[in-house]
Amino acid sequence: MSAATTVRLTHAQKGSYIVILISFDIDGTLEVGDPPGVLTMAMVKRVQKQGCWIGSCSDRPISAQRAIWAQHNISIDFAVGKLMLPDVKAKFVADMYYHIGDREDLDRKYALDAGFEFLWPHEAIVHPWFL
Amino acid sequence: MTPQNPPASFYRTTEGLGLWEHRGKVAAVGVGHSPTARRWDGTPETCVGAWSILALRRAIADAGVSPNQIDGLVLDPVTTTGAYWPEGVPVPMDVVNAFHPTSDPLDGIAKLSAEWILQNMPELTNIQFVMYGPRCMSHAIVVAAQAVGEGLTHTCLVLKSWHNFEGRYYQGGANAQDTIDGTSAISRLWGTPASYGTALQFAEYCRKYGKTHDMMAPFISNSRRNGLLFPEGYWAQHRPEPLTTEDYLAARWIAKPANLFDNDIPIMVSAAYLFTTPERAKDMQQKPVYILNHTSSRATPRSLTPTLEEVEAETAKTGRKLYEGAGITAADLSFENMYDGFTLFHQFHLEGLGYRGIKCGEALDFYQTDISIEGPNPVSPSGGNIGSGRSRFWMHTDCIQQLQGRAGARQVTGVTPEIAVSGGPMPLGGNFTVWSATPD
Amino acid sequence: MAKQGVVPDALTQPFWDAANEGRLVIQHCRACNRLQHPPAPTCQQCGSRDHLGWQEMSGRGTIYNYGVVYDCPIRLLQQDQPFNVAVIMLDEDPGIQMYSHLPGTPVDQVPVGARVEVIFEATANGQKVPEWRVVGESL
Repeated sequence: MSAATTVRLTHAQKGSYIVILISFDIDGTLEVGDPPGVLTMAMVKRVQKQGCWIGSCSDRPISAQRAIWAQHNISIDFAVGKLMLPDVKAKFVADMYYHIGDREDLDRKYALDAGFEFLWPHEAIVHPWFL
Repeated sequence: MTPQNPPASFYRTTEGLGLWEHRGKVAAVGVGHSPTARRWDGTPETCVGAWSILALRRAIADAGVSPNQIDGLVLDPVTTTGAYWPEGVPVPMDVVNAFHPTSDPLDGIAKLSAEWILQNMPELTNIQFVMYGPRCMSHAIVVAAQAVGEGLTHTCLVLKSWHNFEGRYYQGGANAQDTIDGTSAISRLWGTPASYGTALQFAEYCRKYGKTHDMMAPFISNSRRNGLLFPEGYWAQHRPEPLTTEDYLAARWIAKPANLFDNDIPIMVSAAYLFTTPERAKDMQQKPVYILNHTSSRATPRSLTPTLEEVEAETAKTGRKLYEGAGITAADLSFENMYDGFTLFHQFHLEGLGYRGIKCGEALDFYQTDISIEGPNPVSPSGGNIGSGRSRFWMHTDCIQQLQGRAGARQVTGVTPEIAVSGGPMPLGGNFTVWSATPD
Repeated sequence: MAKQGVVPDALTQPFWDAANEGRLVIQHCRACNRLQHPPAPTCQQCGSRDHLGWQEMSGRGTIYNYGVVYDCPIRLLQQDQPFNVAVIMLDEDPGIQMYSHLPGTPVDQVPVGARVEVIFEATANGQKVPEWRVVGESL
């Protein structure tokens, strides 16, 4: 069970709260990407501690995505290829779905097509979750 | 010295030519590679010119010759197919002036002339022969082999280099404009990416023979596995990630049925070989690998894009030409290293070769069997471009290294490496070589 | 779909002029009675330059093959991806191929082997281009 689930249950005990799912592109978005992005793994851990479902949606092979998260001791809820955000939405019941990425054609377009909210990395980094 | 363009007589493009007249009389004796990078970092030390020099010097050292023994140079002056210096961006003169420049400031940065190489390698004091083998190493190899065979050069460097810049490959330039010229529009107006033509052939192949894209997965995994055993390659050096079946099947489409991992990744890298005569090779450091034959495909499609029928006909013809000129049959092949820049055409090369008796429509089934380097039917032991990034020469290096017994962890063990083929790029239009551990 | 505006050049001017008139023409060599497409300065079979002209086509064809473009290199088309790109073979000569976005055909639901007819659509600068639609389907 991921850390997010544990936190969510805890929150549920305190009453209702909004369930948020955040999908991260890697290259150009996260500090570990190529090119490196502005979002740090510490920031990702921070949102996870707040009870968000988290995972990656990247052109990196899925096995490689999992390896990256494992290297940073982050237990994720999903790792998918680009164009698989509809599958993520179908599998995880959340109140809000966000995808953070750096490409108009691949990240923003497909996020919106899948019914996700979209944030550019520079927008996400000033979002309260990460601060 | 003005580089020559290869004469038409250099190329073996038709059937019925018999044995190659220089069969076994040209040997590869040295291999040199630069490091790899995803993109140029803007420094003089890593520009395409610098890495070309590095690869050339490593090939020379590998062969154990002194530079003044070298009298020939064959190279491809074009160092990209899709990454161009951005319009309006000044060329960094600190990089240009870190070398002895030519009149073109992009020389050594976004292209590579023989003049630039020779001005910046003063140790090459005895170059008498310079020729271009454009487009890729497959072509440069054919030109160099023929030149050595004809006695135009006796100790010849063969070079292919690639640059890559910031930004996305094939984006920008004409593709970013609001208009397009009438001739280009005929084929380019509909926005097809580079892998589209191959994707079409594969789609037709699957319909005709009842196959599916999923059947490609073992080839992909095998290629990346082999590439991760190629220390000179990009993935081994920078991102040692296997490609599992799940990874492959989850990849997004580029031009369906070609997905992301059916396409190679553009990188920066240079490679050089040293070719010589068997007599001279005896005094050199490495075991010589002999060229039994080379052949070229100059076929063009009837219309906009090759059909499956055209592909199958041409790859079969390439196979026949290779065997005829080398005096061998498909049964003599220890392994094959045909090009894989789009994975979806590798099987056409395999079927054209009749590798291990494969006929048209059977290659994808063959992929489901043991195609590993440890098995009896190695497929792409180099790992190709999928295994090591976009260079179009891993296949050639691997042939040489395998036949020399120097392929390290990648050395084929299920077969005795005696004769191999490599070449490309496309099923229609490419250059191919038969390599042998012995001259006959 | 907003295609790039086509600026005809000397070689292809007749093709694009005909498109503006709602006619499909293909380059034709009178010496060897052979159609060729894409157009070229010389006949790809006999090498003739002087015997090349243009022949009007019926505008009928068949869908030979197709792919679906998800990652397009042309900026103007990226907003429309994914989209079909089909290969049409002409009734007059199945060896002659033309590309088409197949307006009216859903993405990745291309009926290979279906009959098509030519239509003409304007590109970004008003120059018309031959497109194809499945016979029986309305836009």
